[in-house]
Amino acid sequence: MSRVWLTGLGMISPLGANCQSSFDAALRGESAVRAAPDELNEGLPGLLMARVEDEAFPDLGKQYAGMDRAVRLALVAVAQAMDDASIAVSPDNGDRFGVFVGIGFGGAQTLDSMYTRSFSRQHAQNRRRATVVHPLSVPRMMANATAAAVSMHYGLRGTSNTYSVACASSAVAAGEAMRAIRNGYLDAAVVVGTEAMLTRGSMVAWNALRVMAKPFPADVSASCRPFDRERSGFVLGEGAAAMVLESRECALRRKVSGRAELAGYGSSSDAHHLTAPSAHGQVAAMRRALTDAELEAGQIQYLNAHGTATETGDVIETESVSEVFGAAAGRLAVSSTKAVHGHLIGAAGTLELALSVLAMESGSIPPTAHLHDVDPRCTLDYVPLHPRHDCRIDAVMSNSFAFGGSNASLIARRIAV
Amino acid sequence: MLEQLITNYVVDTAGVDASIFRNPDVKVSELGMDSLGLVEMLFEVEDRFGFQIDDPMRFQSMTFREMVSDIEKQVREHCNGEIPDIESLDLKPEVE
Repeated sequence: MSRVWLTGLGMISPLGANCQSSFDAALRGESAVRAAPDELNEGLPGLLMARVEDEAFPDLGKQYAGMDRAVRLALVAVAQAMDDASIAVSPDNGDRFGVFVGIGFGGAQTLDSMYTRSFSRQHAQNRRRATVVHPLSVPRMMANATAAAVSMHYGLRGTSNTYSVACASSAVAAGEAMRAIRNGYLDAAVVVGTEAMLTRGSMVAWNALRVMAKPFPADVSASCRPFDRERSGFVLGEGAAAMVLESRECALRRKVSGRAELAGYGSSSDAHHLTAPSAHGQVAAMRRALTDAELEAGQIQYLNAHGTATETGDVIETESVSEVFGAAAGRLAVSSTKAVHGHLIGAAGTLELALSVLAMESGSIPPTAHLHDVDPRCTLDYVPLHPRHDCRIDAVMSNSFAFGGSNASLIARRIAV
Repeated sequence: MLEQLITNYVVDTAGVDASIFRNPDVKVSELGMDSLGLVEMLFEVEDRFGFQIDDPMRFQSMTFREMVSDIEKQVREHCNGEIPDIESLDLKPEVE
């Protein structure tokens, strides 16, 4: 079985246009959470979101202009990751190079604008027919549009799979890509999590679920407060994070060094509740990841928590981490960076794993921002408010727990020399 | 005007070499656009004038000019016998 190296990272997030700027903002605890623009919050007062800034989003040219926002964000992140891994278009091993995508709500923006356009025309008395919509509406909104775009752009002809597992989508994509490489089905894969559903249609739906943070009176940007007594829910974000994975042998052949080893993946299903988390399922995912990585819990120094800042979510994750880590939980640094970049749903898994890898490389741990008053039921070391520097980190874990009860944990570690 | 609109799309967005239009009898099939490319091109017209053009695949056997006059005919049928002026009638494509 091959070891799987992570040889390239890329990211476009509410925090920044690339990995470094996003990670630096996360370290500073600088939040990208803002009040939603007027056109989105009509009838939804106090709506918050974490958007990718227009200036961070490069123009991909006319060829990609009509594609769904999630596809375009993914292409930006993938370009960075491929560049980081020194892989050009049409690699020699294209037949054994896969594409693994995680997305929660594929085609959200395309679908929303199609409905908006169709309904508004239906009620406007002009010559335009409500049924005339772009001929590529279907292939633009299909969930695997990102996988198709990446595969075609780079000439990657191996497995091309799309995972839609709500908040665990891209964590599952990364884990499954790792298994495919480890088991010899592929030499390499690009994994990308992407999400762009800050649309009118999806915001009214999320609002109705009553899980969204309310504006924090003193500072709107501090409204997402994981593990804090004054938490009120999460803030939807958008963006994409990509990683190039390849077998150790493949990387050595290309004479590139790995940034980390993707060493463990564990997944489980709660079989319990549509939206409520379960400690049992989370414990299973983390334990399976540790077994897979052949590590003891005490060998993990940093955990990027799922940490959505819902009351049940924070308390259950604390319980399950405490159970898995036992006595080692006291030495484990745990933070939720969702406080600053929001919840990127399908992109959360790869984004948070990438931030964890950057923490391992730099020895600097991003804090849980806005955590002034820890909920007494939350008993771990959440790295409140301030980053922690000069840490020796050999292995990191990233948790992604989805609605529907799907859980995924990933472990990355330093490459043994 | 319609001809310009379509030609611009073919050259600017579909990336077809403009020199191909030096031949006044160039065929639609010679533009090297596949069926999806063809319907995307027609959408430039459909989007502005608000109706769907019939049976796009028949254009493959026409010259570019024949196609343009066929489309013109269809636009007139839907717009009281006129070709509305795109600029003055606010018929620019809608932003998605």
